[in-house]
Amino acid sequence: MFEELKQLMASKYQLDPATITPDATLKGLGLDSLDVVELAMTAEKEWGPRVTDDELNEAQRLDAIVKLLESRNARV
Amino acid sequence: MPGMPGDTAHAVVAGLGSWLPSRSVSNDELAGYLDTSDEWIRSRTGIAARRWVDQGTTTGDLAVEAGRLALRAASEDTVDAVVLATTTPDRRCPATAPDVAARLGMTGTPAFDVSAVCAGFLYGLATASGLIAAGTAQRVLLIGAETYSTILNPGDRTTRAIFGDAAGAVLLRAGSADEPGAIGPCVLGSDGGNRDLITIPAGGAEQRSAGTDAPPEDFYFQMRGGDVYRHAVTRMIESAEEALSRTGWAADEVDRLVPHQANSRISTAVAERMGIEPNRQVTNIEHVGNTASASIPVLLAETAADGRLKPGHRVLIVGFGGGLAWGATTLTWPDVPALRGEG
Repeated sequence: MFEELKQLMASKYQLDPATITPDATLKGLGLDSLDVVELAMTAEKEWGPRVTDDELNEAQRLDAIVKLLESRNARV
Repeated sequence: MPGMPGDTAHAVVAGLGSWLPSRSVSNDELAGYLDTSDEWIRSRTGIAARRWVDQGTTTGDLAVEAGRLALRAASEDTVDAVVLATTTPDRRCPATAPDVAARLGMTGTPAFDVSAVCAGFLYGLATASGLIAAGTAQRVLLIGAETYSTILNPGDRTTRAIFGDAAGAVLLRAGSADEPGAIGPCVLGSDGGNRDLITIPAGGAEQRSAGTDAPPEDFYFQMRGGDVYRHAVTRMIESAEEALSRTGWAADEVDRLVPHQANSRISTAVAERMGIEPNRQVTNIEHVGNTASASIPVLLAETAADGRLKPGHRVLIVGFGGGLAWGATTLTWPDVPALRGEG
């Protein structure tokens, strides 16, 4: 799941894949509030589970976001 | 011929007008008294400046000027009905449209307001088309006019950065479905369960009937940006695709996407997801901001006047706003004048 999230974020936000690590945070990667909404919408479209931008902001770290998506039965 | 027994008349665009207040407010000016910056506003909204009215200028004033230009563009002195889409009427009662009609020399003409926030122009188009199809009117002046500067919280850095004042008008005449300028299928929708996302909570019957005071901020316009983004992208795409399907066009046959200028990132997200290339999307949010129900007619007038919109272009119009309310329609752009002014 982390690899899929990493690929999605690298292409969607033109990020250096080397910076997308499990302990990286949304803020640390430079995502603003609308980027996080976009991420929530794209995650739902790609993998199924409905997550809100508030939930992603609360999780912040990518490993926590993966855990959140997996707990919602994300289909990869 | 339209108007013959058995025929249904279609609304056809005959001329456009737009009017902007002359005072341009830059991001740097806002950053002088709000916790914001030019970079913050540009990156999140695509806006560099917006127009705000001077003290004493109202929505009706802007509507009269835009309406006068649309009448002139269509070479008409009068119409059979005036429809004004606005979120910011001059008074809570009565509607602003009768005053606008009277000031345009049309006392006695039917005139009323349409209230659908940023989707107001689409709702107005459907209403005007209905008046023409029913034979109630042969010519309708549809105006979208706003003075959001009068309802913004002085301390809200988000809404204050986004919204501007403006008016745009379209004169619609009875015609045939197959001629350029004929308004296509109007797809409309609403979701009142999410009315809190875009609202002025106080000052209406709900708060007054409760008999309780409301905090000062509840008398100002409020918006939950993240939630609005999500709903806007979803509903604009749904309604735009429905309008295309009912017209018989594929997304790649659209020459110009004319989205309500809510936020450049919403427009971009809609175009990307629909597969409409960036060079086929028109925009003017950078220098006028989000002007709610005025945004689409102001953008149509601007792009028709500067050549970005050309006769024969297949145009997809889509809007979304408080209500929630949304809508979309299509037309083939006609060879008609678009007159613009400011003051």
